[in-house]
Amino acid sequence: MRTYESIFIIRPQIAGDEYTALLGKFKQILADQQAEILRCQEWGTKRLPYLVKKQDQGTFVLINFVAGNTVVKEFERRLRLDDAILQFQTVLLENGLDLSAQEEESAEGDKEAADDDNEQDEDQD
Amino acid sequence: MAFDKKGVARRRFGRRKGCRFCADSDLKIDYKDVRTLKYFVSERGKIVPRRISGNCAIHQRKITEAIKRARNIALLSFTSKRTIE
Repeated sequence: MRTYESIFIIRPQIAGDEYTALLGKFKQILADQQAEILRCQEWGTKRLPYLVKKQDQGTFVLINFVAGNTVVKEFERRLRLDDAILQFQTVLLENGLDLSAQEEESAEGDKEAADDDNEQDEDQD
Repeated sequence: MAFDKKGVARRRFGRRKGCRFCADSDLKIDYKDVRTLKYFVSERGKIVPRRISGNCAIHQRKITEAIKRARNIALLSFTSKRTIE
């Protein structure tokens, strides 16, 4: 299981009930695949720095979830199919998500490289 | 006096010595944190090189990756300094 972070931009015309329904739909897609949603932030409608599908505004949603890689594949497929989604990006969080501190701890990723030197000398007389 | 070599070199980006991310471990590089990334982007939206920003290799790499991610998801512009904020 891995922690992922997904941001998607929803068409700005979609608001109110439609928006809530859409968000619920994508949360349900994750829930159906036994993904655990850690955090869901709605950033609201913002002006985009460049045109995305001829739109200069978009509603940003950030979702963090814990799941396997197949779940991401399906989730992105569904995002791609939906016309209301302008753009999306999913990123793997290698160190997981620390919600209590609201900041990721980078000290977590220490790996110990165990060097095993197995030298087998065979003496042939 | 005003045109000595030092003044000219310093004029553009307010050059700082040393990597600020190494100096302050509280600073995190995050692609969602546009305000920090903006500092490492030129007026044209280009990534500021290491020799000017003063970052160390590790942090420059992380900054570069973060900027590219931010551009991808329309948090930063590819061609200007315009951001979502």
